[in-house]
Amino acid sequence: MGRLIAEYAGQLPIRAFIVSQDKALFEAVQALWPPDEIAWQPFGEMESALPALFNDPPELVLIDTRASFISEGADCAAGIRAIKGDSAYSSVTIVLCLGKGSDLSAMDELMLEVDDFIFFPDLPDIYKLSFILAFSRSRRSLDVNPLSHLPGNTSIIRYIQGLIDRKVDFALAYADLDHFKAFNDKYGFSRGDEVLHFTARMISGSVRASGASFSFVGHIGGDDFVFVLPTDLMEEATQRMIASFDSIAPSFYDTEDRKRGSILTTDRQGRPQLFPVLSLSIAVIFNRDGCLRHFGEAAERASQLKHLAKKEPGSICKFDRRLCEPEDESPAMPKGGGHAPQA
Amino acid sequence: MTNDLKTAYKNSILAAKNLPTLPTTLLEVNSLLENPNVSLAVVAEAINRDQVLAAKILKMINSPIYGFPGRIASVQHALVLLGYNVIRGVIISTSILEDLDRAMRGLWKHSLACSVACTQIARFLDLKDPEEYLAAGLLHDLGKVIVSIQLPAAAKEAQWIAAREEISYSEAESRVLGFTHERVNAWVADQWHLPLPLRESMVHHHRPMSAQHYPEMACVTHLGNFFARLYEVGFGGDDLVPQVSPQAFKLLGLNRRVLESLLDLVGEKLEELNME
Repeated sequence: MGRLIAEYAGQLPIRAFIVSQDKALFEAVQALWPPDEIAWQPFGEMESALPALFNDPPELVLIDTRASFISEGADCAAGIRAIKGDSAYSSVTIVLCLGKGSDLSAMDELMLEVDDFIFFPDLPDIYKLSFILAFSRSRRSLDVNPLSHLPGNTSIIRYIQGLIDRKVDFALAYADLDHFKAFNDKYGFSRGDEVLHFTARMISGSVRASGASFSFVGHIGGDDFVFVLPTDLMEEATQRMIASFDSIAPSFYDTEDRKRGSILTTDRQGRPQLFPVLSLSIAVIFNRDGCLRHFGEAAERASQLKHLAKKEPGSICKFDRRLCEPEDESPAMPKGGGHAPQA
Repeated sequence: MTNDLKTAYKNSILAAKNLPTLPTTLLEVNSLLENPNVSLAVVAEAINRDQVLAAKILKMINSPIYGFPGRIASVQHALVLLGYNVIRGVIISTSILEDLDRAMRGLWKHSLACSVACTQIARFLDLKDPEEYLAAGLLHDLGKVIVSIQLPAAAKEAQWIAAREEISYSEAESRVLGFTHERVNAWVADQWHLPLPLRESMVHHHRPMSAQHYPEMACVTHLGNFFARLYEVGFGGDDLVPQVSPQAFKLLGLNRRVLESLLDLVGEKLEELNME
């Protein structure tokens, strides 16, 4: 059996954690590959593995779920959710070890979060296969933004269309940065990427903190993000985001610009121009009572609304207060300044 | 590449990891985190009373994993971006300092006093982001903490020399270790990718005018340290009140009149702290 994965371009050895109190399992996985290909680091319980993982995430984690070799099933599940629920760590490949004493009924939910499982004891070649598969599958990682590790367009469309099809009420937000181009021009792309990393993390964190029963954060690309929350939680979440963004964004500027509250660059004609500090524009549309029929409709409404949001200075969130169009195919009537649409 | 700092003390080295902290704050933060509805501001306030926890949180958010190293200088901002899971991870991985002597407790209190003073000064002068000045004050003696924890005998020796010869703790450190806590601060700030303003005030709080980029923050920390010593809150390693750099007053625009009202203001807050 060959290398863990042939196309792996990262540094060797591949770092792997094993969370188990079973020495036999540890020795078995250690014997699969030479230590210069995979370096296994053992942990007795989830509690000690998590901080190490958050500090310096490995590529692969093997978690023993067999009753006698792990302290608590609940901890284990919470740990897995903590890893997979955070975009900074969701690319870590997680493999569960099942066996005699594994509580399979508790595994149902977990199986959606992990990448694969092995049975112990079994043939070493079988584990090896499982690891190779799980690892390369999560490496190929279908559709994630390479910068933020958030899901990209395909996943965004699939998720939102799924909610529309199931006639779930939801609020959909499109967010982007104002004056990001000026920031990039002045400070360069790597400083711009720092801001995108920060924005992605801030949005995901605020969405997670809202404690919603369902939620989604996606990265369309560049400084464009989308997120989905239940209708009643969206307003508070966007307020929190704007407050966080406005207080933290100045940290990404040099002192003089930060003090002045603006940056000095040149426009396309080469004339000096002052740009305000970065701000966050958000447009929110709602799907209520199944009024949206397809994703394109949602995207179009949101983009119209965002144009309005971007006309105003500073961070702002605009909510779509329009009611849904009736079920005919007439083009959406833009809501004018208070006059009735009919003649 | 080495992550350790070699001292002149019996060829021993310092490592920038596994710093334990006092039980009180750790327990407080732990119990706060058990409540899922606790606000981040409340958690930040608790963490801001402990230099080791604050340093670990700032280390975490400035780690290259997140993609913006050296950008976040306040614990409040760090908490917003880390989220509860990671904060819990940091707390779990922090162990408790078991045997505490007077000097060690004093060091914690002195740092807290300095952070309170820095916040007051920053507010008084209407400087932007007072939380960053708070962090600068809290971390200004982190180097002393690292030495006290990892080389307790060296720290004791330095204290003893300082007391016997009536010299400053920095001078005593130089004799024992070959350098002062400011050097330790520089090394740990680099290891942990701490933001430049924070690094400069940690490294130059005794000679704030040598801070190249952010002399203002270094001057505030310098002054905060002076106030903490003046009002005798906690113990910074010696009983001397350090000289204040006249240029620091000038840079911050403090004249005699303004200074007097500032002294009253900070004094009041520090008295409260001394009662605890």
